[in-house]
Amino acid sequence: MRLSDIDVVQPETLRDALSVLHERSDSIKPIAGGTDTIVQLKERTLQTRKLLDISGLGELRYILRKGSIVRIGALSTYSDIIQSPILNSSCRMLVEASKTIGVLQLQNRATIGGNLANASPAGDGIPPLYALAATITVQNHKGTRRIPVERFFVDYRKTDLRTDELITEISFEAVKKPFDATFLKLGLREAHFISLVNVAVWIRWAPEGASFSDIRVALGAVAPVVIRARKCEEFLRNRTLGEDVIWQAGQIASGESVPISDVRASAEYRRAVIPSILYKAVNRLIDSRRMWERP
Amino acid sequence: MERRFSFKLNGREVSVSTPPAYTLLEILREKLDVTGPKEDCGKGECGACTVLMNGKPVLSCLVLISQAQGAEIVTSEGFMRDGFPDYVQKAFVDNGAVQCGHCIPGFIVSTEALLSRSPNPSLADIKTALAGNLCRCTGYASIIRAVEDAARKK
Repeated sequence: MRLSDIDVVQPETLRDALSVLHERSDSIKPIAGGTDTIVQLKERTLQTRKLLDISGLGELRYILRKGSIVRIGALSTYSDIIQSPILNSSCRMLVEASKTIGVLQLQNRATIGGNLANASPAGDGIPPLYALAATITVQNHKGTRRIPVERFFVDYRKTDLRTDELITEISFEAVKKPFDATFLKLGLREAHFISLVNVAVWIRWAPEGASFSDIRVALGAVAPVVIRARKCEEFLRNRTLGEDVIWQAGQIASGESVPISDVRASAEYRRAVIPSILYKAVNRLIDSRRMWERP
Repeated sequence: MERRFSFKLNGREVSVSTPPAYTLLEILREKLDVTGPKEDCGKGECGACTVLMNGKPVLSCLVLISQAQGAEIVTSEGFMRDGFPDYVQKAFVDNGAVQCGHCIPGFIVSTEALLSRSPNPSLADIKTALAGNLCRCTGYASIIRAVEDAARKK
């Protein structure tokens, strides 16, 4: 299939898009920003005769906050996220992670919904959503499903999204203090690289400030899907923080990973580097609290 | 399966009849004879096909022509002033930032976009803005000097 043989359907509204999908979900493939889809079409890892181009649906491009809930329309681009005053004040982690996704030319086109649908295990946009315990909203012509992000990803490049559904929204609770969540990625160069390992950590400080009363640790690129390091979280919850404790937590997280060896790194290397990247992330959270509380 | 698409290219309205899933880059080069943007990798790694779409740098090899319907597209050619290089293009020449020249149209577009949103960019701003453009000749030092020079002369 050459690009010239593919037809493109461009619905005007979400409703139209969903009814097109309902009628021919077996033969049409949605495309948003296209930064992954067009590459897959060129490389023929994706074959289709028809594309449903939803990139023009303005109704799915918004970033809102209502009370403590932040809602991001699925067609928001990573540039929209990086520039959003709402996200810069209510979830810096997602902004920082978005800055590391590709480069400016890609951030201007790539959408958060497209990133989720593409389900790359190394996608830098995804671990922050695990750390935020985000909800993915999907719709078909009949109705809406709200899926916790952890249940949305089923296996390597497999999601719970059905062929007649579109991702419409990503929502989560705003981070109370903007610096109580952080994202770090490790790669082979400074810009424009695919993560060897990445980590997103969300915390709530215990009142006395010596431990976390709650914590979520998400690790990317170390398993077929992003994972929550739940044993590591349990170990750190309400435990007084110290060098040894943080290193030990990293060892536990490493034990929870199931990385593969590929062209970028060996499984052994990935497992070995997890404690270091977690150490760095936790210390960054501790440092931000000190900065935050400095009068 | 041809359809007609219209958009603004370097300040003038253009209209082409084409299959809808051709890339914007293919249309620019093959149908409209605008050959500044180049296809090198074809998958979003090199930046040689960078153009402005509605004021923002994007990769024209990863935009379908149907997605460019009604958009405003500017290529490196669009920044020329009466057929002569503008201040950014001149700064690239003056600073020896061009060797084989293949990647330069992409660098020009990324630089123009940077300087229009941030007239006095820091070194870090310049590196971030150009991170999506690869050059295999210069080692980037002369390109960065050219951008700094252009910023001073703006």
